[in-house]
Amino acid sequence: MFKKLVNRSTAKSPWIYHINAGSCNGCDIELVAVLTPRYDAERFGFKLAGTPRHADIVVVTGPVTAQSKDRLIRTLEQVPEPRVIVSLGSCPKSGNVFKGGYSIEGPLEKYVHVDVTVAGCAPKPEAVIAGLAQAAQLLKQKREAMKK
Amino acid sequence: MAELILSRLFYVLVFPGFLFCSAAGLLLAGIDRKMVARMQKRIGPPILQPFYDFMKLMGKETIIPHNAAKKVYLAAPVVGFVSLVVTALLIPIFGFTAFSGVADIIVILYLLTIPAVSIIIGGAASGSPYAGVGISREMVAMVSYELPFVIILLAVAKKVGLETGEGITFSLAAITQYQIASGALITKWALIPAALAMLLVIPCEVGSQPFDVAEAETEICEGPLVEYSGAPLGLYKLNYAIKMFIMTALFTTLFFGGPGVSVGNEAANTAINAVLFLLICAAVTVVCITLIHAVTARLKVEKLFKFYWTVVTGLALLSLILVWLGL
Amino acid sequence: MSFSFPFVREAVSQLFSKPSTERFPFVPKEAPERYRGRIIFHADRCINCGMCIRVCSPGAITKTVEKTEEGDKVTMSFDLTSCTFCETCADFCSKDSIEMSRDYAMVAQDSSELIVTGTFIKKPPVKKAVPPKPAPAEEAPAAPEASAAPEAPAPEDSAAPAPAPEEPAGAGPEAPKEA
Repeated sequence: MFKKLVNRSTAKSPWIYHINAGSCNGCDIELVAVLTPRYDAERFGFKLAGTPRHADIVVVTGPVTAQSKDRLIRTLEQVPEPRVIVSLGSCPKSGNVFKGGYSIEGPLEKYVHVDVTVAGCAPKPEAVIAGLAQAAQLLKQKREAMKK
Repeated sequence: MAELILSRLFYVLVFPGFLFCSAAGLLLAGIDRKMVARMQKRIGPPILQPFYDFMKLMGKETIIPHNAAKKVYLAAPVVGFVSLVVTALLIPIFGFTAFSGVADIIVILYLLTIPAVSIIIGGAASGSPYAGVGISREMVAMVSYELPFVIILLAVAKKVGLETGEGITFSLAAITQYQIASGALITKWALIPAALAMLLVIPCEVGSQPFDVAEAETEICEGPLVEYSGAPLGLYKLNYAIKMFIMTALFTTLFFGGPGVSVGNEAANTAINAVLFLLICAAVTVVCITLIHAVTARLKVEKLFKFYWTVVTGLALLSLILVWLGL
Repeated sequence: MSFSFPFVREAVSQLFSKPSTERFPFVPKEAPERYRGRIIFHADRCINCGMCIRVCSPGAITKTVEKTEEGDKVTMSFDLTSCTFCETCADFCSKDSIEMSRDYAMVAQDSSELIVTGTFIKKPPVKKAVPPKPAPAEEAPAAPEASAAPEAPAPEDSAAPAPAPEEPAGAGPEAPKEA
């Protein structure tokens, strides 16, 4: 019974941590616009966490540049289970216009398993909310699949 | 004998101990978040959101960093939680006190420093430089609000002592009796600066903006709590919520005390009194914690210290002087 | 006081007024007109010119060609996870076969949902029968006629500027009329 309460609450209070892996900041602006009064993601319980150890959903923007690659991997290792990784925009998936550049270290999928992809350059805040809502449902499924 | 033990256990575990103060604290935290959102012209989370947060944190994995001192790391939030529950047992709710023999303002003052120290110790045990910066800020914040807090309590105690002829009395039971006899202390105009000063001390002790230098999210990655995850973090967030309840409860008891309703049956009395108490606590929360939270940004550490040791201490000293002059 | 509490009046009045949040998932929201959203590819209009591939800045468009007996089976695929939504491909397409719709919610857990493809068969152009070359006898009378015709206006052109160089406008139309 306690477990059922825990499982139900996991979808209702997802905390977001945002990593900028060399992005142009367009997608970052749309992500924080989602927390403003007009789109208000907080009514679903989303909250920006200050440290990756408090996060459930990790949102990564930007093509993975050479300078941010090691730091990205180290930060992603610190996120406790159950966790969902969302790649926002087209940069983490394919590099967009920066493909083949001298400092682009490849798509995010090389380093970690990406659960939800939100396409767009930059995606509209409503698309970001739709992506985050899918991520919250996925989080609940992962929590139910956990052993403890 | 068994009945005594059973009733004591009931006080400790259910009302006003563990379950009641947790639920009340989380409810007040939820009301605070919702009201902040409404003041900022948005919808905000449901009022039960802190309950969902706590349950979710119970289900997350607990990661203990390599550099951390393991036993202290896990024990620090528990120590804070226990001291807060004990404090909740000592505060009178309109004439009902769980353990009235030891309900003393000095005891409560000492007990209220323990949760702040538990954050400091938890942060120190984390082994992270962000936590180090956070705990030094928390120490500055503690020093800032302790001084005006002590002066406010002195003023209230002296007032009641003078009126009842004992000189000075620190017993919460005596303060409650005095308020039952001759009206709530907020109506004595010599104590109004003290009430104002207490309204400014509450946000700092609770750790809500603009005085939350310790838990500065964006600046130092949440300060002392940076390496916590899972159940210990859930316990820290619960401590934060219960502290909100305890501080507003203290304010209500000291300044708005009274006999409460009396419908005859004692259990029903206590229940209705508890609900009334919570309503006044919620109103105090909205006025002092939420209103300031919604309109300000965070203060710097030096400015926080200066603010508390000049303005707030000045108000409390004014009240103390007025009371000592016999007004 | 070292600082003051601004906006308190606004905060209290906003507490009692309606919030300005758009209830997005419960109330549907449409993108503005001419919003550049998901790509729609009309395969029947494409002629396989390759202009869109040339102008696409992130190189999101790829083409695979399979030879069949009817002609070339061309598959154009638009990778939305690489697209920057600039509409240059639709701008350059001469047959209007690329269109950007107003669909903005492109969220997928499986990224193969985010590739738009279209296949069409390009038949080779039908070759017209070429007429045979004319015989050499017909060429001889045509040659002097052809050489006489250009000779006639040549002396007129050299005569026109000689008589009246100050009035080239008047001499110009008169010279051909005299001849």
